Amino acid sequence: MTDLLSPDVERLLLDATTSRSRRVKNRLASIWMIGALLVALVPLTLVIGYVLFKGIGQLSLAWFTEDLPTITRKAGGGMGPAIVGTLLITFVAALMAIPLGILGAIYLHEYGGKGRTARLIRFMADVMTGVPSIVMGLFIYTVWTLTFGLNGFGGSLALGCLMLPIIIRTTEEMLRLVPDELRQASYALGNRKWRTIVTVVLPAAFGGITSGVMIAIARAAGETAPLVFTIGAARNLNMNIFQGPMTALSVQIFGNAQTPFEAAQARAWGAALTLVGIVFAMTILARVVSSRVARRHSA
Amino acid sequence: MRSSKRSVAWLLAIVVTVGLVAGACGKSSSNSTSSTTSAASKFDYKSISGTLNGSGATFPKAFYEETIAGFKKVASGVTVNYNAVGSGQGKKDLAAGTSDWAGSDSLVSDADKATFKGPFLYFPTVAAPITVSYNLSGVKSINLSATTLAQIFMGKITTWNDPAIAADNSGVTLPSTKITVAVRSDGSGTTSNFSKFLAAADPTDFTIAAGDTVAWPAAQAGKGNAGVAQIIKDTPGAIGYVDLSDAKATGLSFASIKNKDGKFVAPTLEGATAALANATMKDDLTYSALNTAGAEAYPITAGTYVLVYVTPASNASAIKGWLTYLLTEGQNLAKDVDFAPLPTALRDKALAQITQIQG
Amino acid sequence: MTLLLQDDGVAPHGGGDASSLLEPTSGRRGDSAFKAVALIAGLAVLAILGLIAYSTTKEAWPAFKQEGLGFITSTTWIPAENKFGALAFIYGTVLSSLIALVLAVPVSLGIALYANEAAPRRLRKPVVYVMDLLAAIPSVVYGLWGIIVLAPAIQPVYKAISGAVGDIPVLGWFFNGESGRSYMTAGIILAIMITPIITSLSREVIATVPPAQREAAYGMGATRWEMIRAAVLPWSRGGIVGSVMLGLGRAMGETIAVALVIGSQAKITTHLFDAGDSMAAVIVNQFGEASGTHRAALIGLGVVLFGVTIIVNVSARSIVSRFDRRSQGA
Repeated sequence: MTDLLSPDVERLLLDATTSRSRRVKNRLASIWMIGALLVALVPLTLVIGYVLFKGIGQLSLAWFTEDLPTITRKAGGGMGPAIVGTLLITFVAALMAIPLGILGAIYLHEYGGKGRTARLIRFMADVMTGVPSIVMGLFIYTVWTLTFGLNGFGGSLALGCLMLPIIIRTTEEMLRLVPDELRQASYALGNRKWRTIVTVVLPAAFGGITSGVMIAIARAAGETAPLVFTIGAARNLNMNIFQGPMTALSVQIFGNAQTPFEAAQARAWGAALTLVGIVFAMTILARVVSSRVARRHSA
Repeated sequence: MRSSKRSVAWLLAIVVTVGLVAGACGKSSSNSTSSTTSAASKFDYKSISGTLNGSGATFPKAFYEETIAGFKKVASGVTVNYNAVGSGQGKKDLAAGTSDWAGSDSLVSDADKATFKGPFLYFPTVAAPITVSYNLSGVKSINLSATTLAQIFMGKITTWNDPAIAADNSGVTLPSTKITVAVRSDGSGTTSNFSKFLAAADPTDFTIAAGDTVAWPAAQAGKGNAGVAQIIKDTPGAIGYVDLSDAKATGLSFASIKNKDGKFVAPTLEGATAALANATMKDDLTYSALNTAGAEAYPITAGTYVLVYVTPASNASAIKGWLTYLLTEGQNLAKDVDFAPLPTALRDKALAQITQIQG
Repeated sequence: MTLLLQDDGVAPHGGGDASSLLEPTSGRRGDSAFKAVALIAGLAVLAILGLIAYSTTKEAWPAFKQEGLGFITSTTWIPAENKFGALAFIYGTVLSSLIALVLAVPVSLGIALYANEAAPRRLRKPVVYVMDLLAAIPSVVYGLWGIIVLAPAIQPVYKAISGAVGDIPVLGWFFNGESGRSYMTAGIILAIMITPIITSLSREVIATVPPAQREAAYGMGATRWEMIRAAVLPWSRGGIVGSVMLGLGRAMGETIAVALVIGSQAKITTHLFDAGDSMAAVIVNQFGEASGTHRAALIGLGVVLFGVTIIVNVSARSIVSRFDRRSQGA
């Protein structure tokens, strides 16, 4: 690694031993790498800056508690139903995807291993992470919405399908990190394999699994396309996920972004800030959990 | 530990108090603005309750939003929802029974009638001009004939200083800016009405099929009337069709269009009312106000309807109340959001039709 | 995310043998039941993928039947006349994704190399954090920024560029048009979205380069760039190609951000600054109004999109795994 040498020593060595054109090439490569980082930082700063500065003015108590305004082009009302909708739909999706995903990962790692079935499932789970969210939305539209109408649960199903492969693959990674000695110690105590998995392996991998699950949830919470076909649109709070239309922050951003009205655009920025806040909180929490786990492992 | 618990308790107390105060303020302010309706109906709105889900056209969205807010004040037991997803989807939702009422700018085709769960009724609610809005700095008003309009939307006229535009606008300095045509990306009744007007007024130039979605040769598209208004607002040289309400709220300038009598008429509610007066009403209360005769008539005027079942699956009395409100007190709210109320004769026929609803 | 570098050769852990040595009590039944439940959960993935293919194809069938091969070879998409040829949308999906790749790949690779090879140690973690944050921002937020801020602001730039080079051959074929919402704007937004994905995936690949290789290169007096070219890039080429293809798959399927900024005009043109349309954007824009064959055709677009992204993903994964095996054998 380059870090074996201090930068000064490295430069001295370079100056002493390399020709001018090699040095120029090396310098150009460094400029490219640092430039790439700066280029990527520009949109990040701009997007976050706009969301923060344009959205912050919207936040108030009414923003979180009141229903959406009836008259969208005028100021007023809140985002309450959309915030609740995003949280509720994502929560129910997680309720379905987490057990399924963890069980699937247990099969892959603890039972399937190198076998043909496990390899097929593993490969297909990877492929499934690449299925566009809009296709997932159309899929749920054909199997759920056409029969049961527009409701929050259709959105949950779509988001659950998007989360499932991510949870399976990250959980499997975490199970791999659990040392075999733990399993063998458990067997030595006379535990059956399933008891070992439930009482020893899963608790040991808990932190890592939680972190992976939270990243999957954060990604699902920001999805728009699958919700557009499945949840309909509502202005009022609807806590019944099985009955009647709902709304969500992402859907509100999508709708309000396509208007020329100041108040509606401001609402879009406010919803964006709220959504980014939720998603960032989850991502950062996931990081904290996983780095704490990493520290415990290295200790 | 204890101190942090206490501060959490304080925070909660503050949040709750602020919430109560805000709630109280909200209530008192909404009370003070109610009871300002003049043409009150005799309907006992207090007696009805339920939730009415509606979906459909985006064209009358602003009017339904306004009347839903107004209706809530007189009939506090009823919650009306309107999901502006487009006329086609609105009709589909009603046919599937997932909504109680549909808003539509277009009629149900004979082929689709079979998909409905039973006979249904059209209730005309309001009409409005579809503006031809543009973004051309320094040009405050502009005249366009149907032929010029068709050629612009067919991509035959591509700059603003084209001789065909200049011919109708003597005295106006037209820039050489490139024209950007703005249309709808979603299917829509507004597109249907606008393209049918072009097809009726200039069939020689407008050679493509009119309908909810049109294969415009060269255009940029936005979602909903508001989406088109946004493109026009953001793009110098843009021109597009937008309902009057959204165009006005966006602050766009609009063209005067040459009508059947050869007069250039600006899109106004008076122009729309004049167009309605000369439209032929059918027995099922449907009509077309496009390209009608009359010196004052604005030629691109479109009506819009509410569709309900003759025998609703539920909420029949709430539906009756909502329709009554739309056709009485609601008519007074139309002008506030730039929609033209119905002529009295048509309105009375529609009111009489409410009694046909069973249950 | 550690999805890319998957070592397939893992044995069932804890060794099934140890468990089978135990006495056959009632616990064995619990064991096989648990295994069955876990297997069913795993099979859910296959079931869902199969069901996606079946149910969407079934709903799209009327359109496929009516159009035949014309569904993907014709450019005439006129719902009012019941004509559904999706070539212009397929073209738009491909073009906007290619623009995104051209913009994103050099940036992503640069960042990945910087984070792994060049950055001072204390900067490496923050760089990764920032990329994670970029990846976490929902696409609709990028779309919002794109339609309200970027598109109006960049329109004069397009106008100036096409004014300057529009009449020059070759350059003029591409850098032409003056629409704020265009293929180019969609490509830029997509590039911003896939940069963190390609970065983090290729960073993982680069991290697997054995330190010995690097040290050998340095030992022969290589500069850092020569070390990267001689030791890092050859080792990780397959993985990098794979991560770029995964980024491509993501770009092709992105819906909302593209729908907001591409301009929604079905047109095949080489002019990057003209409005266009993509499969995903058309679906989300027209679905609300569509019925009958039109709706079937939109779902059909979803089927095509599904097929294309599956092909891209499967080839990306197999490139990666083939490369993995080779590099492990070497």
